[in-house]
Amino acid sequence: MAGRYSPDPDQTPRTLLRRVLDTADSRTPRRRQSVRNNAQRSLLQIPSSSKRQSSQTKIVARRHSYITRSVVRLARVQTHGHLEEQTPRTLLKNILLTAPESSIVMPDSVVKPVQVPEMVESSKWESSPGSLELQLPELEYPSTLAPGLPATGRSKQRLRLSVFEQEVNQRLPLSQEPPGNADASSLTSSFNLSFVPPCQSQSVGRPGLARRRPIRRPVDVGVLLQDLEDNSLTTALPGDNYRTPVATLPTDAVLEDTQPFSQPSVGCSLRVYHSLPSPSHSEVKGAERVVGRRTQSTGTGLEKHMSRTSLGTTPLPFSKLQPQPPEIREAVGSQEAVEAKEQEGSSRDEDTPGRPASPELAADTYNLLQAEQPHQSLQPPPPPGVAVSEPLESVPARLPSRTQTVGPRHHQDPYKAGLSHYMKLFSFYTKMPVEKKALEMVEKCLDKYFQHLCNDLEAFSAHAGRKTVKLEDMELLLRRQGLVTDQVSLHVLVERYLPLEYRQLLIPCAFSGNSVFPAQ
Amino acid sequence: MAVSTVVSRRVKRKAPRAFLRRTFKQKKPHLRLETACDLLIHLNCLLFVHRLAEESRTNACENKSEVIKKDHVMAASKVILKKSRG
Repeated sequence: MAGRYSPDPDQTPRTLLRRVLDTADSRTPRRRQSVRNNAQRSLLQIPSSSKRQSSQTKIVARRHSYITRSVVRLARVQTHGHLEEQTPRTLLKNILLTAPESSIVMPDSVVKPVQVPEMVESSKWESSPGSLELQLPELEYPSTLAPGLPATGRSKQRLRLSVFEQEVNQRLPLSQEPPGNADASSLTSSFNLSFVPPCQSQSVGRPGLARRRPIRRPVDVGVLLQDLEDNSLTTALPGDNYRTPVATLPTDAVLEDTQPFSQPSVGCSLRVYHSLPSPSHSEVKGAERVVGRRTQSTGTGLEKHMSRTSLGTTPLPFSKLQPQPPEIREAVGSQEAVEAKEQEGSSRDEDTPGRPASPELAADTYNLLQAEQPHQSLQPPPPPGVAVSEPLESVPARLPSRTQTVGPRHHQDPYKAGLSHYMKLFSFYTKMPVEKKALEMVEKCLDKYFQHLCNDLEAFSAHAGRKTVKLEDMELLLRRQGLVTDQVSLHVLVERYLPLEYRQLLIPCAFSGNSVFPAQ
Repeated sequence: MAVSTVVSRRVKRKAPRAFLRRTFKQKKPHLRLETACDLLIHLNCLLFVHRLAEESRTNACENKSEVIKKDHVMAASKVILKKSRG
């Protein structure tokens, strides 16, 4: 920055180093941008706040520039601190920031490195222009302490220093941090500090930083480091549980050796995947689910065979997803195809316990889920092959179940078709919506009723010594049922409920020519 | 009783005579059915269904549900079947 005042003659190496650091740019780590954003935010805040506070003077303009520059510098300084690599730059910066001032200047200078960022912060916060003016030379002359600085600030900074020291003592294995007054010891301690991993130096490097930063830092660094570690180790885990069975299988084999059977089964799975239809395996995305479903639905025969061999692989995802049963159903691709079948098998277990194949399949899956995975992956393919095929074939056929069964159709379908007429009448009579289960109940009820009806008619006709059921028997039945009473006769009912054609058949009526129909 | 109600959807008044005769024959093959008896059987069925529907509707209204549910029908059927035994 050329537009600076030339510093005082008592330039310390600190100032020189700082200038060096500020002028040159460093690499661009990830976090720098976030810090840059923070810096930009602070930049935005500064002009606004300062505008509010001060009048428009040249000082204001200059202050803005200085403040921005200082903030940018601060940002850069912070970014340097964010760097994980131990570069000479970071080391020097750490020295600058962490080590207490070892200059010959007054004891206030001890707090100097802390002051620089703090002054920037205070520049945002200070309301009086005078203090800002005072601070401007402070920014430029870090070596000289402006008298404008409040003594309380010093004490605060000293407190912060002590806090920083405490942090250092806590974190550093080498607890060589002196109270921070001795030059050489401070330098060495700073060197020691600089060798500390960057997170610690980061948090150590900002003891004097004002109120906002420390809130962020300890969280950011730790979380970021953990995130880095997590990300480096597990690439497939973020968020998607669906992809764990497929994605983590190869990664697990490579990265995590926690599971003893991971590798051989991975090998099996890879072989199986090759044999499986390629689209289902190649795409490891969510679309694979659709493809897998399609392939499962269309190429059921093909996949049945594949599913047999891939049953060995299912133990792995099953073992992993055991605590997460819904994810089994949502697994991707071939896994999904297999697991869909097995899920169907399990569901079929629930639905049709009578099926012999599905319990066998379930038993096989449970066996596979146990420890002996690689062995059983090879052995059970043949037996579940037979078992799986039957329930699998019956699965698509299960939906149109009634049409396929030829035997009971002869009895049931016309009977039910006939009864449906009365069921419609039922729903018509109720004038209310009726549930399907209720309709089924009505059907059963009607069946029982017909049974009773036939029995009664048989009894009545047998009582009369006939083998034919006549109208008298029917009337007797209606009377016994209470439908026909002394007040309500049969004819009344007939006239009420039956259409004209039937009425004429039932109620004798006189016709011309002295004839009665029906004939009595 | 208002028999001639306004029918929103066409409910066929035809009696399933063949169905009734076939059912009776299946159940009681040794018996014969007279000419118009199946009409009376049909009438009997109509009345039965009517009573069942009324009872189910009453049960549903008692439970303050707008839909006739299975338990309503079950309770109704118990009553009506008991009534209908000859």
